[in-house]
Amino acid sequence: MPHSDVDNSKSEPYEEQPGQGLAITAEVLYLTNLLLLPGFAFVALFYVYLRYRNSSASLASCHIRQTFFASLWAGVMLVLVNALIILLGGYQSPSTWIVVILYFTTIHAALVLLGTIGIARAMTGKHFHYPLVGRPCPLASS
Amino acid sequence: MQYQSQAVSKLYFMAAIGLFIGQILFGVILGLQYVIGDFLFPEIPFNVARMVHTNLLIVWLLFGFMGAAYFMVPEEAETELFSPKLAIALFWIFLIAGALTIVGYLAVPYATLANITGNDLLPTMGREFLEQPTITKIGIVIVALGFLFNISMTVLKGRKTAISMVLLLGLWGLAIFFLFSFYNPENLVLDKMYWWWVVHLWVEGVWELILGAILAFVLIKMTGVDREVIEKWLYVIIAMSLITGIIGTGHHFYWIGMPEYWQWWGSIFSALEPIPFFMMVIFAFNMVNRRRREHPNKAAMLWAIGTPVMAFLGAGVWGFMHTLAPVNYYTHGTQITAAHGHMAFYGAYVMVVLAIISYAMPLLRGRAAANSNKSQVLEMWSFWLMTVSMVFITLFLTGAGILQTYLQRVSENPQPFMVVQEKIALFYWMREVAGVIFLIGLILYVMSFFIGGEEEAIA
Repeated sequence: MPHSDVDNSKSEPYEEQPGQGLAITAEVLYLTNLLLLPGFAFVALFYVYLRYRNSSASLASCHIRQTFFASLWAGVMLVLVNALIILLGGYQSPSTWIVVILYFTTIHAALVLLGTIGIARAMTGKHFHYPLVGRPCPLASS
Repeated sequence: MQYQSQAVSKLYFMAAIGLFIGQILFGVILGLQYVIGDFLFPEIPFNVARMVHTNLLIVWLLFGFMGAAYFMVPEEAETELFSPKLAIALFWIFLIAGALTIVGYLAVPYATLANITGNDLLPTMGREFLEQPTITKIGIVIVALGFLFNISMTVLKGRKTAISMVLLLGLWGLAIFFLFSFYNPENLVLDKMYWWWVVHLWVEGVWELILGAILAFVLIKMTGVDREVIEKWLYVIIAMSLITGIIGTGHHFYWIGMPEYWQWWGSIFSALEPIPFFMMVIFAFNMVNRRRREHPNKAAMLWAIGTPVMAFLGAGVWGFMHTLAPVNYYTHGTQITAAHGHMAFYGAYVMVVLAIISYAMPLLRGRAAANSNKSQVLEMWSFWLMTVSMVFITLFLTGAGILQTYLQRVSENPQPFMVVQEKIALFYWMREVAGVIFLIGLILYVMSFFIGGEEEAIA
């Protein structure tokens, strides 16, 4: 068969790209902020951003910028917007809760999915531009 | 095809798609019955339509899993199937038994069906998803034993790979846990507990092994990434599936009379259940990013990438949403459960079966690697129509479930079930529209098999 995996073993060994470790760290912190330790992981990501945002490795710089700005947007969309919906809609109104729960779940899940794609790209040494909530990567050639 | 005996899987895939159409037709009927209560009554009562909808889902997925196994195992084991004739014989037995059971559901009242099939000799009927007459259940066991014998003998005589071992473990687990459907104790608590040993340990246990094995197989074939890399991911994913899924059964034990400690065990372990799906998404994207070839079957790749994403959303996120005991106290058995069930089944199991069908069918039909571009475009349209409409079905049912929970269980003046059902009818109408779009997507999917044209060149 033309696409048998027999040839797979002949593939070249995988090579790590410069800045790949930092890129993965940034993506892990982004996901940790969303899933496990909100706030704490963001502080760590903020530190990484301050220290390495202009890293000579474009891969690291790209992922750090993406994750930092996406985290800021996540804070706005998940905390501020929800607080606003509850404030305007009223705590006792069922329609408020329908909107809040549906909104929070879909936005949170979408942000997590962006992070999973981001970490998969970082693990393979590739740039990734988060759509809408990220920043363009200057040297996003791969 | 690399091995002639793989051809038997074509029969299974065709039956699976046929039954899938039946399932969706009954789903659309059922959705309408939520808002027009006497639609098609008394010909197809609500309880019968629901039973047919869910039973067809299970049966067509089983056909899909069996077809996948008959296609994958010869290639993995690098040998012909132990007995293609047995596989064909079992196919017809299973199809005829399944069809007779559905005809039985539709033709006679359920109680009559129980009488004429001798349920009193070994009572197993009357439980959700396991409504099949005892004689059908015995038939399923015979088919499963024959199937496992055939597959296991093929693996034993050939190469043993991680994928075929994980697949075998999943399939054996599927058959073994089905045996609990024959245990029907008088004690209702025990009855429900063992019922979950079939239902939960299937979909949140051994079926995940089958899902992982199929996905890994398709990704190996399509990306050209080292088998070793993919197998390592597979090991970790299935380990996490079993670690979280087995004790996670506890989330079904909260309110059925089981000890209180299950609220802790169930909550903690089911909160971890999204992890394997989360890993599956990273795994799939990682492999695609590392791909060493551009496979011409783009439709199959779309299904393979879509599977973990939708499984993560449906099984992971929507499962987590109502799995903690304090939340489940309010949401138990509401439309939130239905929302989770729809997206989880579609994402985890429907899509993976469609992924392997999409990969295997062109080869089974004598093509080099892929269908024509025209056919693939239509198939990709069907992917998006079905997937997006399933997202909307889930969102509408979630909206219905939140409102239902609030009006029926949280508000200061809780309202009766049927009163609340009327108040959430708008959500049901929107779900019905999304269901019709899903059906259109399915029709396009079937049509894509009949589009000819020049097949895609091999990259």
